[in-house]
Amino acid sequence: SKHPDPFHTLREVEILDAKIREKLCFLDKVEPHATIAEIKNLFTKTQGKSLKDEDVLQKLPVGTTATLYFRDLGAQISWVTVFLTEYAGPLFIYLLFYFRVPFIYGHKYDFTSSRHTVVHLACICHSFHYVKRLLETLFVHRFSHGTMPLRNIFKNCTYYWGFAAWMAYYINHPLYTPPTYGAQQVKLALAIFVICQLGNFSIHMALRDLRPAGSKTRKIPYPTKNPFTWLFLLVSCPNYTYEVGSWIGFAIMTQCLPVALFSLVGFTQMTIWAKGKHRSYLKEFRDYPPLRMPIIPFLL
Amino acid sequence: MGIVPSSVVLTSFQVMSRVFLIWAVTHSVKEVQSEDSVLLFVIAWTITEIIRYSFYTFSLLNHLPYLIKWARYTLFIVLYPMGVSGELLTIYAALPFVRQAGLYSISLPNKYNFSFDYHAFLILIMISYIPIFPQLYFHMIHQRRKILSHTEEHKKFE
Repeated sequence: SKHPDPFHTLREVEILDAKIREKLCFLDKVEPHATIAEIKNLFTKTQGKSLKDEDVLQKLPVGTTATLYFRDLGAQISWVTVFLTEYAGPLFIYLLFYFRVPFIYGHKYDFTSSRHTVVHLACICHSFHYVKRLLETLFVHRFSHGTMPLRNIFKNCTYYWGFAAWMAYYINHPLYTPPTYGAQQVKLALAIFVICQLGNFSIHMALRDLRPAGSKTRKIPYPTKNPFTWLFLLVSCPNYTYEVGSWIGFAIMTQCLPVALFSLVGFTQMTIWAKGKHRSYLKEFRDYPPLRMPIIPFLL
Repeated sequence: MGIVPSSVVLTSFQVMSRVFLIWAVTHSVKEVQSEDSVLLFVIAWTITEIIRYSFYTFSLLNHLPYLIKWARYTLFIVLYPMGVSGELLTIYAALPFVRQAGLYSISLPNKYNFSFDYHAFLILIMISYIPIFPQLYFHMIHQRRKILSHTEEHKKFE
């Protein structure tokens, strides 16, 4: 008969919290010659990032008794709801200023119309931008997460609605001053805006095609036949690049400082997101193209 | 920066509000410099800072006299409202002069299609004291309870 060899049988390790003496983790099948470092590793792996819905119990790094930790994320709201609300606001609010509804400007201006072409163009561009966003939310985007914390909707709506009102107030003001370089400036800026809107849409479509309906797979995005997607050669998040470009175009077209400030704040936030996305691409894919920067080719 | 255990957010807030009071209000509006309210907040800030930096210095040297700790977490009860009153009264005194001179304000039309009314901005700042001051004040009261009672317990075990 075989004698159990104490040097080779797998061990069970129970880890308790030193202060409250509660069981934190139970590891069975630990190699007897495992170092404390390795045991620490096993422990932190079980405490790390949140599990996904698709994860299979058998494949998790736990022993025969799996301890799952529940974290209450607080009140949640669906991404789609948030997006629709935060985009519908600016669309509607801008139009209030465009049509000069009473109590915004002096009463003699109620329901009057600006005599500057650029003001009408600006309304079309701004409205188009948000209609596009709403339609993309409904028909294009495939979200990884279903929900986000409820407090986000208040924060996000304040940002979008607040800035929309601030910009719209000046662009549609009776004392609005058209751009210094006139029609030339407006034409150039409009071209930038349109190109960037098309670019942004192309990227959204390309990202959608990467991921089949209902799935949550992640793949490296690559340029397609659409020239707008060739920006993928240089940046990880060309959708953000094009978005910044659109707003710069709009700022030049309206020559309005609040628009420039809005573009700057948006650029800052999108850069943070792009860097995060870029970092997670690098972590997930060994063969990620090395030439790519997060948001600005060669620079940022 | 990790040298002293204060919150970066709260401290930046305080530094910004002080820089604002000094440069954007008292320095910019000369007529206000002879007001008693200026004396009020300068005294409050000065005493607070002398105590606070003594506290940090002694803490870093690992030799903190209880008196300093007590002073830091007790005198604020008077000094803080004193400082806030001085600040608010100073801003209030500056208002008519700001309006008259159109200080730091820009109106339409202009080629950047932007406007800013410093007078309205100052009023907004004054209003913001209403939600902010109680939060900071009660945070310090809470800290006081935590830190001064902790010392009491330690003394019992000696």
